[in-house]
Amino acid sequence: MTEFIDGPLWYFALTVFIVGVIWRISSIFFTGKKPDYSVPRQASTGGAVATVFTRFIPRRDMAPKIRIQTVAGYMFHLGLFALLLFAAPHVAFIEHHLLGIGWTPMPYWAFIVASQLAFLGLLILWLHRVLNPVTRLISDFDDHVAAILTFVVMLTGCLALMEGFTGLRVLHRFTVELLMIYFPFSRLMHAFTFIPSRAFTGAWFARRGVDA
Amino acid sequence: MPVSTDSARYTAWLERRCAVLLQLTLGMVLLACFSTLSFAAEENDLAGKVKDPGTQLWNEVRQREGVLQGTTQVAGMDSAVLINVDGERWRQFRMQQLIPAAGLALGGILALIALFHLIKRGVPVAGGPSGKYLHRFPDIDRILHWSVATIFIFLAITGLILLGGRLLLIPVVGDSVFGALASASKEGHNLFGPLFILGIFGLFIRFISKNFLASGDIGWLLKGGGFFAGKHPTAGFFNMGEKIWFWAVIVIGLVISATGLILEFPFFGQTRSIMALSLVLHGVGAVLLIGGAFGHIYVGTAGMKGSLDSMTTGYVDLNWARQHHDRWAAECEANDEVLSQSEVARAQGRSTLGEVPEPVIKGES
Repeated sequence: MTEFIDGPLWYFALTVFIVGVIWRISSIFFTGKKPDYSVPRQASTGGAVATVFTRFIPRRDMAPKIRIQTVAGYMFHLGLFALLLFAAPHVAFIEHHLLGIGWTPMPYWAFIVASQLAFLGLLILWLHRVLNPVTRLISDFDDHVAAILTFVVMLTGCLALMEGFTGLRVLHRFTVELLMIYFPFSRLMHAFTFIPSRAFTGAWFARRGVDA
Repeated sequence: MPVSTDSARYTAWLERRCAVLLQLTLGMVLLACFSTLSFAAEENDLAGKVKDPGTQLWNEVRQREGVLQGTTQVAGMDSAVLINVDGERWRQFRMQQLIPAAGLALGGILALIALFHLIKRGVPVAGGPSGKYLHRFPDIDRILHWSVATIFIFLAITGLILLGGRLLLIPVVGDSVFGALASASKEGHNLFGPLFILGIFGLFIRFISKNFLASGDIGWLLKGGGFFAGKHPTAGFFNMGEKIWFWAVIVIGLVISATGLILEFPFFGQTRSIMALSLVLHGVGAVLLIGGAFGHIYVGTAGMKGSLDSMTTGYVDLNWARQHHDRWAAECEANDEVLSQSEVARAQGRSTLGEVPEPVIKGES
């Protein structure tokens, strides 16, 4: 089983992930849209660039109502980003199995803080999704699977932190592979689409003269 | 016959010398034998009286008379103590008293809850659902509650594996699986522990104002909360049982947190004895909280019908509130805070029939 998870399943998951992500992104870009014949109010490029950054901060009138999601969202995403790219085992894996180059990993204490932020953030976000009537109403199966799968991946990774047991490492790798296979077909794709999505919206609004 | 006489005298002289030599040799051999025998006998006599150097050293380092400090150039707490005999006492206490007592306590609480449920079958809402509601907990309180609950359950499971796993799990899953399980539990427990501290801090901030002693609380306690017989005693937003649970979570939670930090970060000068004591306090506190959580979960679900709604939807039925928190219900009614079914449904994003209306898309039949 270990050989299967470390070998064929890993390559299958990697292939599905890469092909799936490219397919999803290209399907968005090549969908096309109706030509807009209206006279542009502003240049769309400025709006596109500005919106990519301004959307990092909630609108002033919305901020008090989404304080929990904002704080928990940043906790989770920054924690996950740090774990994914700067955890020592991940840096070693990227260097030896993916890119051939590595970089300085974060220290152990930073790993602990990052994982705690990520866990608490994801837990709060998912509980908010389930307990708040509005988010519960607009959530579907995919949202819950994505949240739970991400949580399980992080959990198995942290449980294998001692790196002394092959079983724990293989369990973590197996859950990662499940996530990679699920990723392109789920809303987890927002990791790749949020920038073009914001840019498109910003460009469209700028062209129409909408201040949003 | 001078020649023969000389020869005879020489022979006699030689014989005398040989005899003396023989006697001396024999005497020396006999002396050696006697000496050896007598030394061996003497050594046998001393065998039980003189300590073996290894045993003597072992007894010294065991330090039966208490923890003795030696000298060493190795820096660090307890580095001058080769063997701490208190560690063995702690191990015996943990294996022979703490773990069996913990198992007995948790098993006993579960058995009592099961017995109570068999007899009482849960407390129904007096008068049934009224169709009118009160808003009890906002989103933030419910998110906080379930966050702490999730972290607590994870810590309880991993903590119990670490506490009693060697005794209970190794015979079932074997050494190697338990090794991995224990390693994972230890890592997970240490990782989630600090989050629990944040959680109880949040609970303290959010709920302390409603958990001070109020009139009627002692009466509630004396009547056993109305669980066993008679009318339900009067209570405000939180009854005395909930207040006791709140303060138990805060106080015992702080003890568990402090002892947990002592154990997780062993580089602030704490000695091994302090860590052993911390582990005992940590375990006892955790067992008390887990036992309390069993009761809390039962009362919040099957034990008291309608209670769970307050932590899932945030709303409770008016009759439930009148039954269990009459003073709070009266306050809400006086302040005109009673909500109709349709008002709650709207707030929950549901139609008055309890279902979300299908969106009508223009152009579709």
